[in-house]
Amino acid sequence: MYVPEDLPDLLHYLDTHQSGVHLIANGSDLISRIQRRQVNPKTLVDLSGLKEFTYVKKDGNAIRIGALTTISDLSDSPVIDLRHEVFREVAAKFGGPAIINVATVGGNICAASSSEDLLPVLLVLDAQVRVRSTNGERVMRLEDFLKGKRASDLKPNEILVETMFKALDEHSACTFEKIGMRNSLIIAFVNCAVCLKAESKTKLVEEIRIAFNRVGGKIPERARRTEEKLRGRVLSAEAVEGAVSALRSELKLSSDFRVSGDYRTDVACVLFRRALGRGTNTLLGENIFG
Amino acid sequence: MVDDHAAVEKLARSRQLLVVGKSIQRLDSVDKVLGKPIYTMDIVPENALYLKVVRSSVPHALLKMVEVTEARKYPGVAAVVTAHDIPGINESTALLPDKPLFATGRVRFAGEPIAAIASYDPSVAEEAVDLVKVEYEPLPAVFSPVDAIKPEAPKIHKNGNIAKHMKLRKGNVEEGFKRANLIVERTYKSQFQEPVPLEPEAGFVVPEPDGSVTCVGSIQSPFHVQTGIAKILSLRPDQVRVIQAVTGGAFGPKSDEIPVDVLGMAALVAIKTRKPAALAYTREESMIGHTKRHPFVTTLKAGVDKNGKFTAWETTMLADTGAYASLGPLVVIRACFHATGPYVIPNVKTDAYCVYTNNTMAGSFRGFGGPQAHFAAESLVDEIAKKLGMDPVDFRLLNILRPGSLMATSQVVDEACGLEECISKSVKESDWYRKRKEFANITGTKRRGLGIAIIYHGNSLGPEGNDYAAVHMQIDRDGLVRFRTGLTEYGTGALSGLIQIAAETMHLSVGYFRLEAPDTDFCKDTGPTVASRTITIGGRATQMVAGTLNQKLLEVAAEMLDCAASEVESADAKYYQKSKTQRSVTYHELIEYAYKHRIQLKEAGTFTAPKCEYDPETSQGTTYLQYTYGAVTAEVEVDTETGKVQVERMVAAYDIGKAINPLSLIGQIEGGTVQGLGYAIMEDLVHKDGIVVNPNLADYYIPTSLDIPEIKTIIVEYPGPLGPYGAKAIGEPPIVLPAPAIVNAIDNALGVRLYEIPTLPDRVLAACKRAREAKK
Amino acid sequence: MKFTVNGKDYALVVESHERLLDVLRNRLGLKGTKEGCSTGDCGICGVLMDGKLVNSCLIFAIQARNKRVETIEGIGTAEKLHPVQRAFMEWNASQCGYCIPAMILAAKNLLDKNPNPTQDQIRRATSGILCRCTGYLKIFEAVQAAAEEMKG
Repeated sequence: MYVPEDLPDLLHYLDTHQSGVHLIANGSDLISRIQRRQVNPKTLVDLSGLKEFTYVKKDGNAIRIGALTTISDLSDSPVIDLRHEVFREVAAKFGGPAIINVATVGGNICAASSSEDLLPVLLVLDAQVRVRSTNGERVMRLEDFLKGKRASDLKPNEILVETMFKALDEHSACTFEKIGMRNSLIIAFVNCAVCLKAESKTKLVEEIRIAFNRVGGKIPERARRTEEKLRGRVLSAEAVEGAVSALRSELKLSSDFRVSGDYRTDVACVLFRRALGRGTNTLLGENIFG
Repeated sequence: MVDDHAAVEKLARSRQLLVVGKSIQRLDSVDKVLGKPIYTMDIVPENALYLKVVRSSVPHALLKMVEVTEARKYPGVAAVVTAHDIPGINESTALLPDKPLFATGRVRFAGEPIAAIASYDPSVAEEAVDLVKVEYEPLPAVFSPVDAIKPEAPKIHKNGNIAKHMKLRKGNVEEGFKRANLIVERTYKSQFQEPVPLEPEAGFVVPEPDGSVTCVGSIQSPFHVQTGIAKILSLRPDQVRVIQAVTGGAFGPKSDEIPVDVLGMAALVAIKTRKPAALAYTREESMIGHTKRHPFVTTLKAGVDKNGKFTAWETTMLADTGAYASLGPLVVIRACFHATGPYVIPNVKTDAYCVYTNNTMAGSFRGFGGPQAHFAAESLVDEIAKKLGMDPVDFRLLNILRPGSLMATSQVVDEACGLEECISKSVKESDWYRKRKEFANITGTKRRGLGIAIIYHGNSLGPEGNDYAAVHMQIDRDGLVRFRTGLTEYGTGALSGLIQIAAETMHLSVGYFRLEAPDTDFCKDTGPTVASRTITIGGRATQMVAGTLNQKLLEVAAEMLDCAASEVESADAKYYQKSKTQRSVTYHELIEYAYKHRIQLKEAGTFTAPKCEYDPETSQGTTYLQYTYGAVTAEVEVDTETGKVQVERMVAAYDIGKAINPLSLIGQIEGGTVQGLGYAIMEDLVHKDGIVVNPNLADYYIPTSLDIPEIKTIIVEYPGPLGPYGAKAIGEPPIVLPAPAIVNAIDNALGVRLYEIPTLPDRVLAACKRAREAKK
Repeated sequence: MKFTVNGKDYALVVESHERLLDVLRNRLGLKGTKEGCSTGDCGICGVLMDGKLVNSCLIFAIQARNKRVETIEGIGTAEKLHPVQRAFMEWNASQCGYCIPAMILAAKNLLDKNPNPTQDQIRRATSGILCRCTGYLKIFEAVQAAAEEMKG
């Protein structure tokens, strides 16, 4: 186990040790997998001492979250105001105090897995990530960073330092829905995040972003074809139903021992309607479904 | 020793009950809230070896070769043991001699133990597991009892795949069906429920210099373990000492062969290396390796006449017992007896089969056939009520067992039958009629429903075995009364209840008593701690022994007071002669006197319940000596868009005879109800081709603190003939009724019935879709 | 590494894969913290680290360096029980006892931060810890009773 003293120390270490190294913000994900004998890492690098990456700040019209910020710190942060309440919704359904006290934003992102609830929310906020190495910095969109299941674009000598997104304005609302087998400690069957920007008088959808824990692949993604059906349209029950039809064909969800793909698709549509409905309620003050 | 039960109780009841019926704190709580090192893995000796088990990766195969040389040579490995290292008999069983400790020649389930590796470093042992080479020749396998019972199915054991066929025949069902106005036939399915004791199986064995062994473990039945280990090691039972450590939950798997598996493997390492050896199952290993609830496929056919009274009831049950039977035959016997539910039915035919498959093992688990039987019976009863246009409560009241009526076994219901009162109280508390009317008018995507289910539960082992319990009591010089029994505590609070009974009998406060750990060296064989028999059979043994010991105290007091023993009374730990209360001796003076005069204050005794006599071909006769009754209602909210079922409120009314400790009793009821709720809506241990798909707590869901409904408990007391003060068993019944009550509530909410549990969201959603189609 | 457990300072050399749970139980002999599943899904290995409830089976020991850890052994003694411990005994909130250390720590932590919790807050504070015996209701009542006692 290597414990870096500070960031330059860490980056230098990563440059010189490129293979078999596992970065850990906290051990949760890795320990679980070591216990199940799915991995046997040679070297661990403990990032938990790098306190400079624990922050939630407002920077102009952006919100920046340090990669080592825990989900509970994120939820408790005063920067996360009512407009960004969605983060508290995610934290509340994440899985109990002991889990959120230790799970980090960066850990969630790099795990690149459909069981990471934070990802659909960050995707609909059109978040970016910043990675750093001895070569400098790269900034890229989160969705480009997520390459596949447990595969991010993080190079062996890089670490994720931050994620950032444009703060929601008064015409925007972001909501999150999740469903699992019980009310706590749940791995979701389906979860859904919706970010809506609409003009309250015309009900015109200026922008809409929709993401699920799975769309066609094995990681959280945006449902872009469905978004097309609503972007630039006037919000109405018919328009939403049109989007739901598009969603049905866009989703390619598989079955597993828990539930069938058909069930997931049905429920994804329900969660989408609910997430959108709540967002619409917040922005327009009305229930478009009547 | 004479069991003058009547006299003992008469004396106790002649004055205000001191401790029985009071919600006294359990004696074992202090160590638990302080986090003292009291569980098995907390007290493993310093120099112990740790075992890891090599398990079969395939469900059914010939074992062509098991090669352990490389593993033996691995640095840090102290020993590798296989069947070849067994000095005695390679058997670790519960009832039938069908199961080895280590597989030889053949494996029958994926997860079956083949060998064990020991090292001072558990991770070394784990690495060495990969070095054991096993060569399998796969055999055709079968994974459902429906398939396994067919003649062409692969034979899992040499005598075929039916481990037990239990029959019940009363009257003539063909005639009964002829008289019926309405006949309904349905098939119900239930799943493997995994017990999830929070402490996984654990045990360690210390080899003693004289060739004997001391076994310490997380177990329910020390004497069963003693016999099992002795057989494996080729020792006499008195050379095997078994001590139960504080046990973190049990529910069934720790009562039969599994602790023998754990301690047997550890014992082999211990005698081979002459070092203490410990084995703690991982959660995954526990979920694969130990016994679970039998999945049942139950087909019911019932007929009612034009007055709504049952005329006939026919049942076929197929229980999947997995690769080895464990106590499956007894589970099926209990299910057979209870298959009709607590109703008066003149003609009954039941066939219950315990069937082998290549799934993991099913065995004892709280409820023991009752949950499966009542899920089916109470679902059918509800459906029949609906077809008759009757309220489910009214239909039940028309047909329930009452004193004087005959059960399916032709046993006559005695006066200790509080079923009707349980029903009326739970109906009232749940606001049954008003709410159901209100719910019928709800529109929208969230629907509400209220359902009911009722139970009868034969107490104790009945036909499942010899029903006895032994208790030892001894008074130290400082006055402390040491209480010892082979019955075990693993969360139920039942042993604290026994202390209350002893205290009541001796008219002393519980503070004078101390509960000692069950240790085969110090107590006589007490049989297993199962079947909710602790308070009933254990309670009677306690009364008997405490009564005799108390009599001794009265005799000593009589000697000191110079009067007849029959004239001595006691109160507040003082003993005095009736009508001459100014002269008294204190309890401590009495004890001191006894010690000075070498009067032994020590008693032990065994209470054996009267044997149950019945015809094994027809199950007609007395199957149990007393019954617990109950009624549970469940109020649910169903999200018709997602299929999620939320249980909002439950009312649980039980006739428990006499509450020895009401707070403890409510704890058992609440805990069992929540476990039953899990069985109803979310728990499902899934096998795919014999491999357990979700052997972990992330993917096997038990209720969390956010899933709990409001639970209102109602205690009804109709003292029974068997238990002390009329106490009845309550350990198991609470887990039985949530499933049918919830399924009935869902039907009330949606107008559609589920025939399979758990009520997974996609099953419910499919049912909602069916309901919408039906309305069109 | 250096860290504090129940008010006592320790300096240890730990292995890289060693978990905090292992250090507490095996190195420091504090057996009160239990292992129920090894994958962080049951919560009964819960301890307080710098005042936050964490699953000690999911934390590498080295990550507890310079931190203040509290286990069940530090909560009270037989002579001086913490009100939460006393309430658990009075309300029969402990049956088999295996989840109790974690439940008590979660409850104490809640009451230290929020002396007036609602039913919902009590449920949430204990929501990551599984109990199989009690059905949770008596645990909630014990926490409520402890809150009353601690208020004065």
